[in-house]
Amino acid sequence: MSESAMAVPGMHASTTEPSPFLISSKKLTMWLFIVADAATFGALLFGYGYLRFGSPNWTKPFTFSPNIINGLGMTVVLLTSSLTMLFGVAAAREGRRSATLKWLMATVLLGTLFAVLHLREWSGMLHEGWSLSANPMGGSALVGAVFFSITGLHLLHVISGVLAIIVIAIAFQTGHLTAGHVETTGLYWHFVDLVWMFVFPLLYLLNVR
Amino acid sequence: MTTSEAGTGPTMKGYVAVWLGMIVIVAIEAALARAHVSSGMLVASLLVLAFLEAAVALRYFMHLKYEVPMLFWTLIPGLLLAFIMMNQFWADAVRMRVLHFPTP
Repeated sequence: MSESAMAVPGMHASTTEPSPFLISSKKLTMWLFIVADAATFGALLFGYGYLRFGSPNWTKPFTFSPNIINGLGMTVVLLTSSLTMLFGVAAAREGRRSATLKWLMATVLLGTLFAVLHLREWSGMLHEGWSLSANPMGGSALVGAVFFSITGLHLLHVISGVLAIIVIAIAFQTGHLTAGHVETTGLYWHFVDLVWMFVFPLLYLLNVR
Repeated sequence: MTTSEAGTGPTMKGYVAVWLGMIVIVAIEAALARAHVSSGMLVASLLVLAFLEAAVALRYFMHLKYEVPMLFWTLIPGLLLAFIMMNQFWADAVRMRVLHFPTP
């Protein structure tokens, strides 16, 4: 940005130097958030690795059926929600408002289904006696602490994403937001999906009896 | 400002093909877990498949392939470096194994 441009209050972005990344500032901001959040999840998964390696009495809480079957269902639901989000972004770019709303609502439904399946699984585990500090199998109590912490943070991201998509869908439909906003929200939603690609194999598939 | 549309990205059929590919990767992961291969082999295989899946998601779903290369070089190597540096703490995990955590 030139000094003269900086000195004039209210000068429009179009008169300033373009972004070297050739993307909008909101999209760049979302990318920076994603990188920071990826580091957070990475640290948590590394922490899980340390605790698991350092605990000789680690227990594997899951069986292939029903736990992994349920996890596979959740994974397919989340992957499919990424696909519907892509269709929503494409429709938004083409200015098809009703199609955008339809695809975004499909994404919301799939995200909600994922959350319901997850909470049902949590409910079953809590009923069995698992908690942040208890292991009904008699092994390390850290199993529950790690599982509920990491999947809980991911679930929080899913629920936040569902709420964000609802807001964005309504605001895009009424003309208050642009296709760029839909695309930026889609970026976040794909990141939530990406994190699950590590959480599912490391927390579920590595803990099958 | 609509420069976010730096590249158009795949077609709808392309997206579905990528989605199907990711479903196949998940199925392979589940099959590996069911096959009861050795722990070391299972961890290595699952990590390779997870990174492959993440790379596909980044390139096609998150459109990183269609953005200017500088975006990739600004964001991803630094993140990978952070993950590599986290490996420095494995020695503590070995020490924990000797010390043992108390079981409530």
